[in-house]
Amino acid sequence: MNIIDVEGLKYKYPDTDKLALNDVSFKVEKGEFIGLIGRNTAGKSSLCFALSGLVPHFFKGAYGGKVLVDGMEIKQHEIGEIAAKVGLVFENPFSQMTGSKYSVYEEIAFGLENMGIERKEMIARIDESLELLAIKEMKDQNPFDLSGGQMQRVAIASVIAMRPDVLILDEPTSQLDPQGSAEVFRVVENLTKEGMTIIMAEHKMEKISQYADSVLLLDDGELIDYDTPENVFSRDDLINHGIAAPMVTSVAKAMGMKKSDTGKYPVTLSEISREMGDQR
Amino acid sequence: MSAMTLYVEKNSIIHHMDPLTKLMYVFVSIAATYIVPVHEFVFLTAAFSLLLIIIGKVFMKILPIIAISIILIISIIIVQGMFHPDNKTVLFSIGAITFYQEGLSYAVLLTVRVINMLSAFGVLILTTKPDELIERLIKKGMSPKIGYVFLSVLQIIPQIRATMGKIADAQRSRGMETEGSLIVRIRAFFPLIGPVVLNSLNDTRERAIALEMRGFNTKGKKTFLNESREYPYRKIIQFLLIAILMATIVWRVLL
Amino acid sequence: MTELLINYLHFSYTKDMEVLKGIDLHLKDQTTAIVGQNGAGKTTFVKLLKGLLQPTEGAIQFNGSNTKDYTAANLAEHIGMVFQNPNDQIFKSKVLNEVMFGPLNIGQEENEARDKALEALKKVGLEDRLEKNPYDLSLSERKMISIAAVLAMDTDVVIFDEPTMGQDFAGKERIKEIISELRSLGKLVLCILHDMDFAAEVFERTIVFNQGNVLLDGSTRDVFSDENVLEQAFLEQPHVMQIAKNIGLDGIYTTESELVAALERAWFD
Repeated sequence: MNIIDVEGLKYKYPDTDKLALNDVSFKVEKGEFIGLIGRNTAGKSSLCFALSGLVPHFFKGAYGGKVLVDGMEIKQHEIGEIAAKVGLVFENPFSQMTGSKYSVYEEIAFGLENMGIERKEMIARIDESLELLAIKEMKDQNPFDLSGGQMQRVAIASVIAMRPDVLILDEPTSQLDPQGSAEVFRVVENLTKEGMTIIMAEHKMEKISQYADSVLLLDDGELIDYDTPENVFSRDDLINHGIAAPMVTSVAKAMGMKKSDTGKYPVTLSEISREMGDQR
Repeated sequence: MSAMTLYVEKNSIIHHMDPLTKLMYVFVSIAATYIVPVHEFVFLTAAFSLLLIIIGKVFMKILPIIAISIILIISIIIVQGMFHPDNKTVLFSIGAITFYQEGLSYAVLLTVRVINMLSAFGVLILTTKPDELIERLIKKGMSPKIGYVFLSVLQIIPQIRATMGKIADAQRSRGMETEGSLIVRIRAFFPLIGPVVLNSLNDTRERAIALEMRGFNTKGKKTFLNESREYPYRKIIQFLLIAILMATIVWRVLL
Repeated sequence: MTELLINYLHFSYTKDMEVLKGIDLHLKDQTTAIVGQNGAGKTTFVKLLKGLLQPTEGAIQFNGSNTKDYTAANLAEHIGMVFQNPNDQIFKSKVLNEVMFGPLNIGQEENEARDKALEALKKVGLEDRLEKNPYDLSLSERKMISIAAVLAMDTDVVIFDEPTMGQDFAGKERIKEIISELRSLGKLVLCILHDMDFAAEVFERTIVFNQGNVLLDGSTRDVFSDENVLEQAFLEQPHVMQIAKNIGLDGIYTTESELVAALERAWFD
């Protein structure tokens, strides 16, 4: 079943004269992990905003085409309703903390209070999110006293507790140190195991090739490719779209070493070592 | 980084009182000292406020606050003691300066009112978690948005203060002097304040997005994580406070 | 020749917690990467070099004179530093003016400052955005503005704190070019990095910080081959090394082309 269905999406921010998204169409199945890649001005964030209703409801501007999430047309509904179906986490962990809550536990409750969730249910959900994001031991701490990686996990937990069908992560580790990124990727891995539908924009191609079922490549607001990681990363024109393939793939390309079964280049460490073993 | 709050974590009966009752107490006790301008009564009210402070185990916290206001108090005494329009009876003179009984008596009244006001607010602010107070007010019908503004300001201002240090470092690294003559300091104003303002605007926009995604603008009924708890003697105390306020008004009218 | 001599450098913010516990280093010529987990003392170290903090013990000598004798603003003429977050410094309403701020502060004439700023903006690829408001640009572009703002000051030492953060492929390539150009101009380049691939590929020397000490200091090649030390400092090996190890290829590799060359040799043997 398609949980996301985007058809001919066009979008232009107010007071600009260039389309940020230009005729983008794609579908996502429930439980899939989609890696969203592209250079810094490609339109990744705009697409994340369009899936979560911030485009057009928050940013306004000119909008065309259709975005359906679980059958609900984003344009026809308010962000409050959409937020129950789509969760968004972005780069800066600090500005995602509400600032009005004095403990992690209450911070996670914020969205649930706004949704009008009953107290008993609320507590069950918060406890579950704390567990899933491995932040149980800091539940009584002030969110602002946490490290970037911990704060980002609280941001994800706060969104997950609202039980969205789709989780959108817009460069969630760009502002974190290696430890913080590792912490976040570890919990992202947990969430994929839970069967959550995830869309993640990310510059770390090694992580994309590790987690993604499909990779969506954007450039200049247009959808360039939407395919398996090995098909996308095997493209010869990646550099023209401002992307460097994972190190594994680019080494294999330089060697002309394709996988014997698919005729494409390997994208992960285990694939390349398997290939080396086979061919030796 | 802690929030900008004066709340003192202690275990006292005052801490367990309903924040709204305490808010009501602030109002009633301040109003009473103005409605009934009788020295003995005002003294008694101030003493009672201080007693609550002591029961709340925060007496040592209110002292510095009262000490700071001592300058205000001294100026009240001097100005009223020398220049109050009702001044007739000379009390004492220091050189050419003469203090009058009427003025000083009025100054004492004002002073005790100020101390009462500080103590009453102290009872509320030093023994009440700000989020508990705001949540009670929201449950009573205050707009959640106004509540949000109050609470987030308390936490975000200390954060802004922290970024100011980073900004000063960055500008000094670009050769800007921040210490020295007044002109140097004035010249440093924009490079230091500019990024603070722009930074906060930027953060505010991002935070607005985050709040939207957490359903902050959802219409419909809100729920609360923290249960409305039963506060001890809430009704009876609130009834007494209203009764006292009425009584003072009656006293004033009959006097 | 530019050099920084660091002797027995200690620093603490509070009495009971030492952040730097006696650092001895001699920095000159080579491009140097500083790596280590958060809290290892990297940022504190470079702030001391910049004179933004004063050592509690020990001394830093810049070309033979003690940095204690300079104010941070004086030292700015000689040592430039690009901070992590560009938003902490940008305040002008035009990109060009923002970049001219530093040069004017250190006494360059208006014309000279303008020329230097234009040159620096060209290096970071923003030469067509001179009149834009920095806040209308993206965060990664603002980062480039903050880099240009320091390049324009034409200092002998250039320190970067996490320049690759949030940059895409093109941005990283550009920073690589900037670093190698600075190197060819004889500047001393020092760079705090979280990105091990970038450190391995670009820098000649690497210093590993751990809990306020220098855990290892040497050629980048030697440092990244020492798996034990990296593990002790909670750092990952660069991807090239991970690949080599995974496919059972001996040797030390810091760049992709090195690895490919070695693989090809092994392949055709």
